[in-house]
Amino acid sequence: MSGDRTLLLVLFEMILLVLLGPLLTGIIQKLKARLQSRQGAGVIQPYYDLIKLLNKGTVQADTASGFYRSIPVLVLVATVAAGALIPVVRAGPPAFPLGDALMLLGLLSLARFLTAVSALDAGGAFGGMGASREMTIAPLVEPVLMMVVFSVALSAGTTELGALEAHRGSSWILSWNAADFLGLAAMLVLLPAETGRIPVDNPDTHLELTMLHEGMLLEHSGPGLGCMMLASHTRQIVTLGLAAALFFPIGPVDTGATGFLLGAGAFVVKILVLAVYLALVESSYAKLRLFQVPQYLGIGFVCALMALALRIL
Amino acid sequence: MNIATVHSIIDDLGALLLFTMILIVAASQISRAIYAVATQSLFIALAGAVLATATGNVDLWVIAGITLIVKAMVLPWLLHWVVRRMDVKREVEPVIPDMATLALAVVIVVMSFHLSASLGSVRQSITGNALPVGIALTLNGVLVMATRKTALSQMVGLFAAENGIFFTAMAVTEGMPLIIEIGVILDVILAALVMTIMVLRVRSTVDADIADLDRLRG
Repeated sequence: MSGDRTLLLVLFEMILLVLLGPLLTGIIQKLKARLQSRQGAGVIQPYYDLIKLLNKGTVQADTASGFYRSIPVLVLVATVAAGALIPVVRAGPPAFPLGDALMLLGLLSLARFLTAVSALDAGGAFGGMGASREMTIAPLVEPVLMMVVFSVALSAGTTELGALEAHRGSSWILSWNAADFLGLAAMLVLLPAETGRIPVDNPDTHLELTMLHEGMLLEHSGPGLGCMMLASHTRQIVTLGLAAALFFPIGPVDTGATGFLLGAGAFVVKILVLAVYLALVESSYAKLRLFQVPQYLGIGFVCALMALALRIL
Repeated sequence: MNIATVHSIIDDLGALLLFTMILIVAASQISRAIYAVATQSLFIALAGAVLATATGNVDLWVIAGITLIVKAMVLPWLLHWVVRRMDVKREVEPVIPDMATLALAVVIVVMSFHLSASLGSVRQSITGNALPVGIALTLNGVLVMATRKTALSQMVGLFAAENGIFFTAMAVTEGMPLIIEIGVILDVILAALVMTIMVLRVRSTVDADIADLDRLRG
């Protein structure tokens, strides 16, 4: 098969995403702190946290099954595999059979399912509550995310992200189709939900009232918790990367070192812009009551549906 | 500007108009709905300016300017003033659940696109997606008026519906006679003033909501 993205490149991009994930979390936390007039921890704090957790021992609930210890690794693997599907430095179809955007969403929901299962497995009350809440919200987020992907994929005729990006070329806001605006609006509504941030979830606490994702991690400890946290950092950068790939394509750049650097630089800028958006949203809104979340996500659903309608009709 | 650029810009503005309409339908606080309707008017003024540069019609510049000042600034300010005066925060009381209203809004948008697609040659002569977007805005404005109990939200719905009619008229005719447009704007201002006075008066004399009038029987 001929294609622009070789196996080596895809692997490199995947590892890059995993390595940069914690940095992104650190940057968002730093931005939030500055917006709230606090000094905040350094941007590499998440790395320290991960290293600390990986060096600790594991404590496990007596009720947990033997499957429990392998779950953090599985979650991490599923999320990292999803990262392989995001084109980072170069657009274009892959040179070997690689999954598409639907595969990516499937892997992310697999990770989410495993996380919820582990929370239920441990038998803690808080974990069960977090899991049930997460599973209430997930079916509202995932179909809408798929509809956003479809609304963009319809124009290119493919759901493979690299080929999709190459097809869209370097279209910037001025050359956008009307449906792109509604699709981006839906994506911006969904991003806080998918990355587990205010107004849907609060990543900073695992208080009973706010917990969704953090609640599910309560029973994990040591390296397992480290894997789960690394997975959630990776999930965040993968989600932002998906948004960037769908709406801010880099276009076909030349295959030399210049194109490589240009693509990487463009990716960093796009991710940073989305990170600033997340930090701003988190600093300016309060967390929604759980029962108001469906209405909030309903806005995203309606926007995505209209984007599809605009694309088809 | 060539025709294709104008078409695509009007299309994009139409998408943004639809987005603001969704925000109006989904708003849980009256002040957010007012901000959304002000933004919508701003986009309509932008559309007017784009059409004015495309057609060279000076009247459209005037209309865009008036829309910007009256509908994007003065009327929202008036509504905010009423909200402050009445000291209400969550003045949105839907008759049917919010999600049902949102679903109806989607149905309206899809139907208006579907129906205007069947118009064929008429559709072709109109700038971009202006016709279905205009119809959708108008009907959604009526939907907001029909599904809210309180007078202020109904006013927001009226303004949104009026925005839809305005947008359609502007795009279909590429500039109606100035006198008609100004007449329409004056009508809106008058309606807003009368409704404002009504809302405040009803509130101050009987201390009741408009919905309570349902129980009034002769």
